[in-house]
Amino acid sequence: MTGRVATGLSTAVWMVSLVIVLPYLQPDTTSTYAWSDGGGLLDVTLAVHLDALSARLVLLVTTVTVLVQLFSTSYMRGDPRYRSYTALIGLFEVAMLTVVVADDLFVLLVGWEVMGLCSWLLIGHHWELPAARAGAVKAFVMTRFGDLGLLVAIVVTGQAFDTYRISEVLAQLGSGERPPAGIGLLLVLAVVGKSALFPLHTWLADAMPGPTPISALIHAATMVVAGVYLVARLLPLFTPAALTVLALVAALTMVLGALFALMQTDLKRLLAWSTVSQLAYMYAALAASDADAAIDHLLSHGAFKALLFLVAGTIAHATGSTALRDMGALRRSMPLTFAAATVGLAALAGVVPTSGFFSKDAVLAAVQSATAGDGPLQPAVAWILLAAGLVTVVLTAAYATRAWLLVFFGVAGQSHQRAAPADPGAAMVGPLVVLGVLTLALSFSAEPHVVVGIVTTVLLLVGAAASGASWRAGRDPAVLAGPARAALERELDIDDRYLWLAGTVRRAGTMVVAGDRDVIDAYPRGVGALARLGSGLLHRTQARNAQSYATVLAIGALAVAVAVIGR
Amino acid sequence: MSALVVAVLLPGLAGICLALARAVVSARGAAAAGAAVSVLSLICVVASWSARDGAYAGEVDHPWSTALGLHWHLGVDGISLPLVVMTILLCVLVCWSLAADVTSTTDAHEGAGVVLVALVLVIETASLGVFSALDLVLFFIFFELALIPMWFVIARWGDPGGGRLAATKFLMFTVTGSALMLVGFVVIAVTAGTLQIPTLADLPDPLTGTVPLLGGVAIAVGLAVKTPLWPLHIWLPDAHSKAPTVGSVLLAGVFLKLGTYGLLRVFVSVVPEPAARLAPYLGALAVAGIIASCLACLREHDLKRLIAYSSVGHMGFVVLAISTMSEVGVLAAVFASVAHGLITGLLFFNAGWLKQRYGSATFDVLGRGLYTRVPRLAVVLLFAATASLGLPGLAGFWGEMLALRSTYEPSPALDRTLAWTLLTLAALGVVLTTAYFVRVVRRVLQGAATPRDDDIDLTRTEAGISAVLAVAIVLLGVAPGLLTGVIEPAVGAIVQVAP
Repeated sequence: MTGRVATGLSTAVWMVSLVIVLPYLQPDTTSTYAWSDGGGLLDVTLAVHLDALSARLVLLVTTVTVLVQLFSTSYMRGDPRYRSYTALIGLFEVAMLTVVVADDLFVLLVGWEVMGLCSWLLIGHHWELPAARAGAVKAFVMTRFGDLGLLVAIVVTGQAFDTYRISEVLAQLGSGERPPAGIGLLLVLAVVGKSALFPLHTWLADAMPGPTPISALIHAATMVVAGVYLVARLLPLFTPAALTVLALVAALTMVLGALFALMQTDLKRLLAWSTVSQLAYMYAALAASDADAAIDHLLSHGAFKALLFLVAGTIAHATGSTALRDMGALRRSMPLTFAAATVGLAALAGVVPTSGFFSKDAVLAAVQSATAGDGPLQPAVAWILLAAGLVTVVLTAAYATRAWLLVFFGVAGQSHQRAAPADPGAAMVGPLVVLGVLTLALSFSAEPHVVVGIVTTVLLLVGAAASGASWRAGRDPAVLAGPARAALERELDIDDRYLWLAGTVRRAGTMVVAGDRDVIDAYPRGVGALARLGSGLLHRTQARNAQSYATVLAIGALAVAVAVIGR
Repeated sequence: MSALVVAVLLPGLAGICLALARAVVSARGAAAAGAAVSVLSLICVVASWSARDGAYAGEVDHPWSTALGLHWHLGVDGISLPLVVMTILLCVLVCWSLAADVTSTTDAHEGAGVVLVALVLVIETASLGVFSALDLVLFFIFFELALIPMWFVIARWGDPGGGRLAATKFLMFTVTGSALMLVGFVVIAVTAGTLQIPTLADLPDPLTGTVPLLGGVAIAVGLAVKTPLWPLHIWLPDAHSKAPTVGSVLLAGVFLKLGTYGLLRVFVSVVPEPAARLAPYLGALAVAGIIASCLACLREHDLKRLIAYSSVGHMGFVVLAISTMSEVGVLAAVFASVAHGLITGLLFFNAGWLKQRYGSATFDVLGRGLYTRVPRLAVVLLFAATASLGLPGLAGFWGEMLALRSTYEPSPALDRTLAWTLLTLAALGVVLTTAYFVRVVRRVLQGAATPRDDDIDLTRTEAGISAVLAVAIVLLGVAPGLLTGVIEPAVGAIVQVAP
């Protein structure tokens, strides 16, 4: 019952938002509405801005949410906490929609952080599992750290432009005002946290113990791309220095993410690292100042990555595990899933008729035109970014092919002996079909880049062939990494640094507690002891002994007499 | 008779009458009477506020002792009104929770219950008096008046083990602080020639020189003990954790605000020049308190002690905002004080309910998996923890954000490099706060359930109290303008408003 209500509500939201935003898909159609003038010291306005950018993201969010709610009616059947699960998905949807239509930076921040809250609670949905609890905490704390960048950036922006309204800030920038340098760098920190870019990239893969539909919704299609939206919206606020930092971070992250994905033995973790790598592509386009290419890739990635995660959910439902060794030879027993996965992986690798091909090429074309040096990015940096992008095309094809072969071909995994896996029912297959169609349909509105397209196709064939050859020879294609394989499997031990940091902070906490108890509290205890000592000493004078009183009197009188006579 | 005077004195007088009549009144009846009297008080305050003309609502000014220059001078403005309303609200909820407490078995026990209600009402009067006093010594009188009843609340109704020690430590610290504060008041009064706060705030030539500085230092130290400012906070964890539920709620919700309100009303507005000289030290100690308390919370195993330390951290944000001596800082301080009162009030109510069920608030005794064992209570605790970690959209965020904003653009009292360093550290404090609250949720609410027989979910009273506070927290979170609209016109009474 809850499932039907939840899916019904999401569908209603989808239809209403479709009606509202459809006019805004035309370019140059914008509207801004503001309620409650935010005058005075607080200066916060409830303001909404609709244009093509927000319209497309609204459609992405509402569409994926409906499909995830529908998928969950079957996937999460029998879950004891299903009601809170659907409620949190609803809250999340409201928060994400707030982010993409907000015209006031504080309203955006509210949506941004509430998304983080929902992510924390949903990753920890199966909180009986220690991995889920740990992953949820890590995700929340690391993204909160990044969010500080956004908070301080908003404070600085408010002071520099005397307003918190995005439209007013952009208008002031449009008429020639230069932004303070710090804002862009702080926003880079914010998106590094939220989108799991280097060096805060370690939380996304550890968020995988959450329910798979949540990974599809939050950690592939929507929350992690909120940063892309933010940068696209506020691009004029980025100085060349900030764009350079963004470009270098993106370059490193896309290669690292793809390498880690190649090593993974768990399908969901593989997809998580793939997401990290693809997000870096979007930021690469933004660093090259092409917001349209970034958003195109955001939309196509939203479709095919959600598709792939739901495929992983379908397989997990059928085989009871997300480990790659428990899969294998599934193409005959789960043909619909196989078809959907093929479309998704092809889009991921960038094979021709899928939207992934067009959007990835748009990104690379944007970076390539930035190498000419006309834009704010230095040519050298743009070349680095382009090289990283092309290397990542090879690696992406390699790990996509590896996943395809290991899951659907070869020998059946151990779990097949328990139960014969089969394609699931309509509630789960339906979303797969819809997303598969979208992955192909989104290419219709895309413009082709011929030269880049040929280059990427060649590169992806190289990567796919390398993976295929390894697999044909009976080895896991991860051996392609050669001697670096062991280090990459441990994800370069970067997470260990964070664990060490957490340990250090806890040790500092122990010191503070000990300091409070032994140092600061020593003073009141000491004062109390001193008071008791003094009281004890003075108590001696109350000897209640007539002879000692007489003695004291006599000595005192004698002393006074001597003193008087002696003068 | 001014409605404000009625509002301030009525609860205390009612409390004394209840205590005298405890042989004939039941504890429940007394608590209900207490709640009713507090609501009456609120009505009087609102009436007084809507009928205001001039800077202060309900202002009365009668000479009390001409030799001392002491006046019976009361009034509320936009700075004190939110705190007054918050105090009355918390006292109503406290009386409501006492009314539902059905543990009285003997006549002596009943009598003790009535006395507890009476003490709460006297504390209420004293707090309302502090927030409305416009004369320095009158401020001191009400400030002190609150301490003795609270000693009894903690010592007699607190933990059997450490209650008395915690109460005495609390009393000794705050009385010493108040004594210092009085010395400061006397110094200021002698220098300026008047005890009246509005006059002192509007002096044509602000007090400068060594003598007012010494007076200012004395006042600041006295209020720093109350707020509390690190390292004078050491009385707080014991007092908050050993006190009974109602004691903890009033201590955290109201008493700490007496200190921060004092810093605004009798320190920054009365001696602005010494305050500007001391501002860097206040700011630095405030941030030290934020970081130190966050680190301590990461190691705490007692829920009430953890919430107590979190209060030190939140008050650190308030004092940081005050130390910037800017308009936004004053707004931040008052907003954060009100938000903290509501949120930490809810947290301590929650911790108290858990302690009443299981006998102790330590993590070992509470066990794990409260989501399964007492689901509604667990969700309320989750909500309160989320509000306390400053999630945007709930009340706690706006206070913290305004405090950070004020630190970014401080008045000349705070050097810019220092201010931005403090801003960075305070922002780190925000992340650490998230970390320790998330730790509480993980350790206590989540995990494999350890069920016990005394797993009773939220009762009707508890649900009612939680609902009232939750609604208030969400309301202030989504419509902060409701509160800032009241505070903003009065900011000029504390700091110079830029033209």
